[in-house]
Amino acid sequence: MRRIWLRQADDAVTLPGMTDHPSGSGVTTEGSPAQEPATLDQLLPPLLESAYRVALRLTGNPADAEDLVQEAAFLAAKGFRTFQAGTNFKAWFFRVMTNAFYSKYRRQKRQGEHVDLDDTPEAYLYQRTMDTGLYTRTKDPVQALMTTITTDQITEALNDLPEEYRVVSSMYFEEDMAYQDIAGVLEIPVGTVRSRLHRGRKLLQRRLWDVAVEAGVINQEGRD
Amino acid sequence: MVQQSLSCHETFLRLNDYVDRELSPAEHDAVAAHLVECAKCASVFEFEADVLADLKAKLSRIQLPPSLKERVLEAIERGAEAADA
Repeated sequence: MRRIWLRQADDAVTLPGMTDHPSGSGVTTEGSPAQEPATLDQLLPPLLESAYRVALRLTGNPADAEDLVQEAAFLAAKGFRTFQAGTNFKAWFFRVMTNAFYSKYRRQKRQGEHVDLDDTPEAYLYQRTMDTGLYTRTKDPVQALMTTITTDQITEALNDLPEEYRVVSSMYFEEDMAYQDIAGVLEIPVGTVRSRLHRGRKLLQRRLWDVAVEAGVINQEGRD
Repeated sequence: MVQQSLSCHETFLRLNDYVDRELSPAEHDAVAAHLVECAKCASVFEFEADVLADLKAKLSRIQLPPSLKERVLEAIERGAEAADA
C-alpha cells in the first residue's frame, strides 16, 4: 500500500480529535516528533463506521452510501496534501464526503423543505408523556417510552427528516459532533446548525412519539 | 453577561444547548443553578438528557458492510496515483 504522508505543521505533534467538545469524539492520533507522520490509510479506517453512517443519511440507501464513502476516500487521497496536522481530520473528511455527495449525487443543495412545526411544543416527548399520564404512571418514564422504540424505528424516523435537518441531526445524534464541527463540515454558520438541529429534534420527537403510541406505550400499566 | 438567576422560561430556552453541552461556562452554571432550585425544570432537563442518551446509544450501533474497508483502501490507492499523475 502506498503511503500518503500528511503534511506536518512545524509544531504539530498530534492529530487532534473532535476539537474540545466534551464528548471527545473523533480521531485522536497522538504521536511524538520522532514518529512518522500519519497516513490516510491509517487515519481513515477507524472512521469508516462514522463515515458510513453519515453517508447513509445523505444518500438514503446502503449501496449509494458505500459508493459515496469510496468516492470520498478517492478524493481525500487525491487532495490529502491540503490537509494539515493540527486540524480536525474527521471534520475534514466529512467535508470532503458531503461535497462529493452534493457534486455527484445532487446537482445542487436542495432548498429547505417547509415543515410546519408551529404546533409542536418544545420538549415534545416530555410534554406528551405528561399529557397522557405516562410520566406519573411509571417509575422510569424515559425507559417506559424508549423501550417501545427500536433502533430501526429511530433510524427510519431520522431518514424521514427533510434533508437539511437529517444531515445535521445525523452528525449530532449519531456522531456526537459539536455544533462547531458540524458547521465546519457543512460550511454553514453555527447558528444555522443550531436552528436546524432544533427543528430536526422537534420533528424526530414528534415522529418517535407516534411510533411509541402505535406500539401501545400509553396503554402501559404502571411499573414498579 | 449571563444574569445570576434565571427564570424558568429563560432556563427552558437553553434546554437544548444545555443537554448538548453547547452553553458557555457562565450560562451552563446559571442553568445548573436554576435546576438545583426548580424541580419541575430539573425533571424536563433530566428527561431530555435521558432521551438523548438513549437515542445516541441506539444509533451508534451499525454494521459496516464487510467489503467496504478493502474498497476504501483501494480507492485511497487510486486517489494517490491520481494525485501523482
